[in-house]
Amino acid sequence: MNSVSTSSRGKVLIVDDEPSIRRALRTTFGTLGFDTAEAVTGEQALPLLRSSSFDAVLLDINMPGMGGVEACREIRRQFPRLAVLMLTVRDNEDDKVEALEAGADDYVMKPFPIRELVARVRSAVRRSHSSTTGNTNAVITIGDITLDPARRLVQKNGQAVHLTPKEFDLLHYLMQHAGLPMMHARLLSAVWGPDYGGELEYLRTFVRQLRKKLEDDAAHPKYLLTDSHIGYRFREAQESRLVPGGKSDH
Amino acid sequence: MHSAAKAGLESTFGFAGRSLAGSAAVLAAAYVALRLQVNFSTTGFLDLLIVVLVAMLSGFWEATVTSLVALTCLNYFFVPPVHTFYVADPQNWVALVTFESTALLVSRLSIQMEKQARTAILERRGMEKLYELSRRTLLMDPQRLPGSQIVAQILDVTEVEAVALFDAARASEDMAGAAGADLEALARDTYLGDRNQDDPDGTTWRRLLRPGTSSIGAIVLRGENLSPLLADSIASLAAIALERARAFEKQSHAEAARQSEKLRTAVLDALAHAFKTPLTAIRTASSGLLEAGHLDPAQEDLVTLIDEESEKLNALSTRLLQTAKLEASETKLHKETVLIPQLIQDLLAEHSDQLGGHRTLVSISNQLCATYGDRELLGTAIMQFIDNAAKYSTPGSPIGIAVDDRDGEVVISVHNEGSEVRPEDRERIFERFYRSPGSNHRAPGTGLGLSIIKEAAEVHRGRAWVNSEKGKGTTFFLSLPRAEWRTQ
Repeated sequence: MNSVSTSSRGKVLIVDDEPSIRRALRTTFGTLGFDTAEAVTGEQALPLLRSSSFDAVLLDINMPGMGGVEACREIRRQFPRLAVLMLTVRDNEDDKVEALEAGADDYVMKPFPIRELVARVRSAVRRSHSSTTGNTNAVITIGDITLDPARRLVQKNGQAVHLTPKEFDLLHYLMQHAGLPMMHARLLSAVWGPDYGGELEYLRTFVRQLRKKLEDDAAHPKYLLTDSHIGYRFREAQESRLVPGGKSDH
Repeated sequence: MHSAAKAGLESTFGFAGRSLAGSAAVLAAAYVALRLQVNFSTTGFLDLLIVVLVAMLSGFWEATVTSLVALTCLNYFFVPPVHTFYVADPQNWVALVTFESTALLVSRLSIQMEKQARTAILERRGMEKLYELSRRTLLMDPQRLPGSQIVAQILDVTEVEAVALFDAARASEDMAGAAGADLEALARDTYLGDRNQDDPDGTTWRRLLRPGTSSIGAIVLRGENLSPLLADSIASLAAIALERARAFEKQSHAEAARQSEKLRTAVLDALAHAFKTPLTAIRTASSGLLEAGHLDPAQEDLVTLIDEESEKLNALSTRLLQTAKLEASETKLHKETVLIPQLIQDLLAEHSDQLGGHRTLVSISNQLCATYGDRELLGTAIMQFIDNAAKYSTPGSPIGIAVDDRDGEVVISVHNEGSEVRPEDRERIFERFYRSPGSNHRAPGTGLGLSIIKEAAEVHRGRAWVNSEKGKGTTFFLSLPRAEWRTQ
């Protein structure tokens, strides 16, 4: 099973040049049960990462010095399995694409509700843990939907859903990376092969079909979410409470 | 009138004097010939020479008078019987007639050559002046008004006595030269009459200024030594100078507008960014408080309020950034072939909660209407129309959405009943921050939405406009270049 227990707390490194944001994140993550450390620039972050072990890094994209994207590239090179999330203030797709291409697991737009940020951190951490096992035949259950790769079977609320082979492959890939953004080109080449990089409408048609079959309301998808201009992401596995006694998701 | 009479008198005296001088020369030649006992034919050649000289130095009529005097002399002193005006030998008749004809012919020819030479000199001088004029008009001060500079240069360089120019764009006249002549009004009339005209007296020349096909003003020249050619040339130089000045002005206006827009955009961008950092801290703190729990209901209510309002503030600054970027053409478009009916269907399904209870009537003439553009941006623009219609329409009335295929364009229209957009607002509502005076109390809004549509239309080489009629409601239109839809 591809899941992590809800009570797991991790150690998060916050890298941002804005003191007020570091303070807000430090206090909030601390309250929610995470251990935190801080750095002002990418240059400061790298020695910290070497000296102690972290589960995730929150990296501001726009920092003095080497900058967020370059820092991300360097972190990815030195720590291939560490979860990296980029924080960006600009709603700029190029920044996001650049961040993902530099090896970030995800990006989050400032300002963000902390629930979303924590959920994204969890997904990224889960990714970094699961990539060690790498069991591609594991049965995945997210919400009402269960996917069994070995039997090529998809169920919603226990009812079998009929999917075409390509639809199944696309869904499998998205669910394997649940919670994380998958770029269009990555999905296309993963499911259709490396020659399909730019056939966007192709992908969109398949996503539309999948939504019709899986979502309660295809116009308001709960599972198969769109990341504008970037790609798609499947809803993360856990939507339950963040901390014991905290507000639950309804 | 005085001066004309005086000039006439002078020229009459001059004519008589020059004719007398010629005649005297002929008489002197006759006297010398008689003393030296030179014969008729030699004296005839001598007289011919004198006549030609008179023709070259004075003119045809003086030469004619001289030749007649010479003829008389020859007849009287040399043709037998001498000392009478009688000619006995018919051969001598022929000789005399030949002499007179040759004298007249040669004087005529020499006068023509002289005239041609003089015209050539005049033309060369005219050319030099035109060249000088063109050089000076090129050096005109672009900061000063062109009209007064052009007339001053024309007066300075050419031999006109007075010049007036009418600049149609400014509806202003400029005049230089001899005072008193009402040339300004004449220039204006020439422009209004749309016709070149040369006055019969040959001193006033009216010309339209046409740098291209349409006239941009008119010029009136007054002067003795002008030819139609010269007037035409001066007029075309003035036209070019005026056109150049106009183009320069237009360009500097556009440049100024671009600069101020750039500044505005930069300020907006900076503001929006400066908002985002504190907003991020506020939002992190408020949502963190909510997640941490342990709040009593009143506290939770207040923190929720902070959280929601900071999100609203964030949405506003995001929008500011969006328009600022669109106007600065900084947004990178992600273009693809977009099927408009499909897009509208998706939008309506996604945003059904924003329709405010209005029904939608969708009419699509061609299901394969497509455009090549940024799907996200087009979606935002169309949704803005629909949102607008929902806000301003009569409660309970339907919103009409239509997609039409017209002359290579896809036209999307959104109609609502009720409100009317005043004619004077129809352009301005697409400007950023503009809200028509009546709308301030009616519906919530920032005045940003329609400006996004306009920018979106422009970056797609399309257009956005509005039709509105009291009682019939308002229809917003967005037209986009049509693209071929490949069926897959």
